[in-house]
Amino acid sequence: MKPPLPQHRPTRRYSAWSLLRARFTDNGFWPALWSGATLKDAYDVVVVGAGGHGLATAFHLARDHGVRRIAVLEKRQVGLGNVGRNTTIVRSNYLYPENHYFYEDSLRRYETLSRDLNYNVMYSPRGVVDLALSDDDFPALARRGNAMRLAGIDAELMDLAALERFCPELDARRARRFPILGALVQRRGGTVRHDAVAWGYARAAAALGVDIIEHCEVTGVHTTAGAASGVETSRGFVAAERIVFATAGHTGMIGNLLGVPLPIETHLLQAMVTEPVKPLLHTVLVYVCPGHGEVYVAQSDRGGLVMGGHLDGYPSYTREGTWERLEDVVQAAVELMPQIGGLKILRQWAGTNDMTMDGCPIIDRLRYDNVFVNAGWCYGGFKAIPASGAACAALIATGTAPDLIRAFRLSRFASGHLLDERGAGPFPVRQ
Amino acid sequence: MMRLVCPFCGPRELREFQFHKTLPAGPGSVFARTYERIDHPERSVEHWQHVEGCRAWLLVERNPSSGTVLRTVLLGGTP
Repeated sequence: MKPPLPQHRPTRRYSAWSLLRARFTDNGFWPALWSGATLKDAYDVVVVGAGGHGLATAFHLARDHGVRRIAVLEKRQVGLGNVGRNTTIVRSNYLYPENHYFYEDSLRRYETLSRDLNYNVMYSPRGVVDLALSDDDFPALARRGNAMRLAGIDAELMDLAALERFCPELDARRARRFPILGALVQRRGGTVRHDAVAWGYARAAAALGVDIIEHCEVTGVHTTAGAASGVETSRGFVAAERIVFATAGHTGMIGNLLGVPLPIETHLLQAMVTEPVKPLLHTVLVYVCPGHGEVYVAQSDRGGLVMGGHLDGYPSYTREGTWERLEDVVQAAVELMPQIGGLKILRQWAGTNDMTMDGCPIIDRLRYDNVFVNAGWCYGGFKAIPASGAACAALIATGTAPDLIRAFRLSRFASGHLLDERGAGPFPVRQ
Repeated sequence: MMRLVCPFCGPRELREFQFHKTLPAGPGSVFARTYERIDHPERSVEHWQHVEGCRAWLLVERNPSSGTVLRTVLLGGTP
């Protein structure tokens, strides 16, 4: 018996014409972005987790590989996890080829994502400026920039004069306790509206017939004859030919579910946003402030300064950031830009990150031939979403990993092919 | 807010302590002990150091889901 075709859910294409038409019709013109999917008994692919990576994987499976019966099961609601908790920065300024080719693919996809999804994700190529505040920073940035340029990725090493022209609001020559020595700038880097990425992928996937099921928690995996046969959920058993886990900060629990130890620890990363102010920073600043640690700052379209720093420093699932780290981030930000010292912090939040032992992700099979895991994005999962979705979908559909993600296999820890970009050793907290 | 109680110095700010690593679930190969983690959302056994205090190495048992500290003792013996 042939499986039933997915129910077609019409989605209105956004265009100048549809806007004009909506003007002359009632409020019911715009349908919900995704809705109405009912959970079926069996699917070709079940994606666990409706965050950025899960939705992108489902979208590419449906669009590029013609997989018809796909479900995305989500414990809570679409986009409430890390895709809605990050600091929205996209960039591809990595040192190792395995990383910078992958993230460059992702950045290129971000450049055209609004068109591909027919949904404005507000990609803003405002530049990512990595500042050097110490004599050691500058050669390290130069090395990273040269590695990027060899790979054909835009990178500019700027001295103070060039930095002053690019980012006058920084007042680069001002006397500071830790004076600015220069910067590595990636002009195509910038920010993307994070919620729009989740909503855009969900809408595009739903339009292709993907069932997005919210409030459906996966509690177990059923197996028959050495292969997974489906997942046990809070709404009953769902048969699946292939299962993908894209559960961000809870991948450690997935390891428990399957009885596989993983090279992953769950840590907290927090971010915060100040009250909105008039434009005072037109780019993304990233730097390590001696004594306070790493900080990245960008001004959102609403005017708030969005800031984040390093991990809180110990494993946690609580989603409560520590006061100590918040203080570090604020001090580092004010050290460089004293003019923001009087701003109030509006909100502060934290997300759970799966930190791998080398700071790089894992996209591979997990225990069974038909179970896949898309995990270990550490604190950089948002910028990877488009490339991760496309590559993960190719792995699931064809059974072989595309070249772009071959280095992200799970066996690299046993074989010693780690991608230890920071050279920090097997300590997730130091990545 | 999490707070650790050093067996020597009493309750101190979290800033004074540094987390070092999570202990593996049991004996295993060097690879397993170094790289593999079995996730216990309710109980995590860790090495910490009171770096900005008495510098003692501590064995800390915590619940990472609720953020509560279950036990803090001196690593390798009781004070």
